[in-house]
Formats: sequence, C-alpha cells, structure tokens
Amino acid sequence: MADELDLENEIFKGTQDVFSTMISVELERETFNGQNAIQSNLTSMIGLGGGICGALAIHCPAAVAKAITAGFIGMEVEELDEDVKDAIGEIANMVAGNLKVSYAATGVNVELAIPTSIVGDKFRVSGMAEAKRIVVPMKMAEGLFWVELMYV
Amino acid sequence: MGKNVLLVDDSSTMRKIVGRSLRQAGIEFDNIYEAADGLEALAILESKKVDIVLSDINMPNMDGITFLKEKAARPAIKDIPVLMISTETGDDIIGEAKSLGALGAIKKPFTPDKVNEVLGPLL
Repeated sequence: MADELDLENEIFKGTQDVFSTMISVELERETFNGQNAIQSNLTSMIGLGGGICGALAIHCPAAVAKAITAGFIGMEVEELDEDVKDAIGEIANMVAGNLKVSYAATGVNVELAIPTSIVGDKFRVSGMAEAKRIVVPMKMAEGLFWVELMYV
Repeated sequence: MGKNVLLVDDSSTMRKIVGRSLRQAGIEFDNIYEAADGLEALAILESKKVDIVLSDINMPNMDGITFLKEKAARPAIKDIPVLMISTETGDDIIGEAKSLGALGAIKKPFTPDKVNEVLGPLL
C-alpha cells in the first residue's frame, strides 16, 4: 500500500500546503538534477519512526531561511538566529505531519520526533547506507530550497 | 473581567503565530501566557488565572498527552479547558487527548479562520 505513494508528489503537496496556509507563499516544484544540487546554510531535520524509519530534512540557503521566517513571524530577520532555526524546524514538523497523514491513508503509522536545526557553511547530512533518498527542490521568490526524505 | 489564554508549544515561533492568529481571528484575550512544554504549562496554570489552554502534543520534557494526565490529577486546575494544536491528528492520539479532557484539535498548518471556527464556540 505505502509503495503506491508518489512520495515526491506527497512531499511537494504537503510543503505547498504549509507555505500557502501559513505564509501565503506559492511554491514552484523543480526536478532534482545536477544543476540544482543542495546548497544549505540551515538544515532542519525531524526523525521518523514506526512504519518507516529515517528523517525528513529541509535545506535552506540563508536568504530563503530568513524570508520564510520573516513571513512566519511578521518582521524582517537579519541573521540565522534562534527564530530562524525554530521557524524552519516548525516547517519541517508540519511537512512531516502532512506526510504522516499521507502514509496513514495507506495504513502505515509514522511517528514524529522533535525537530533539530543545524546552521553552518560546510556540513553534510547522511542517512543509513541502505536508505532510500528523495530530494524535491522547490522555488520561491528568494530562491530554491530542498526537502529531503531519507528512509528505510 | 477579561479572559486569559495559555499557549503551550516548544516552538517560540509557533507560539507567536498562534497568538497572531487569535488576534487576526478577532479573538481578544487580556493576557496571553506562553509555555514551552507541559511542565511549564502546569506551573503557569497553578499560579495564574487561565481560561483556556491551546497545547501542542509533541514536546520535549513533558508532551501534551502527559500534560493532560497531570492536569487531570490536580483538582485546582483539572477543569480548565484545553484545545490541542498539533501536526498529530490521528484518531488514536486525538482520541486519547479527548479521553483525557481535551475539547478538540486544530491541525497544523492552520488559518486564523480555522482557529476562530474551532475556538470561538468554546469561549
């Protein structure tokens, strides 16, 4: 049943729902290829357990993370501070929550952990060696960001 | 005398958004108190006059379900109404929350209209 899920589409729909509902931003979906490799200054991750095990991550360049946060809290943001880490973490939480609903419709229960955010210029996020990996780039006015699902 | 609300969420951003949504929905409170988890929420309930609680479920230290259990065991605060605001909307967990006294749930993401629709009749 869960194999029938179009995960790329579910991730995009779930992310679009969060952005349009919470900050009135419409997203454009892009295809992940060699021209749009992940570039992140802030990554927020949330662990997934139960019917699938892994993590959902949102990778944002600084300008995108600040723009999302400004939309969230209603004021300009100057740097990648606690508000930005918290806001992108909450986005990850809601996107994962929508994915949980998609899985539930196929009879698979997914448990969500508490989000964690990482800020830096040079870091890599790795999953287990045998993990499946889906990356969906999305575009808003300030640039691209990426939603990644790693799971087994 | 006006009403006071307690917002319980480990995300300070989400607490701000819920507070803003209340204002946008035209729901005015004299005081909006904030707590980052169930433990902080219990302490506020025992020291402030609170008319309604809006609480997340997944939180560190003390989650929303444990908060409901602890609150139900304290006679002085057990009757203060609680509405859950969470990404968790499965029948099992919301059913458990309701069995512990929660009045209902609002799913994240939400609009001010949704907050008004669910919360308005409770005030």
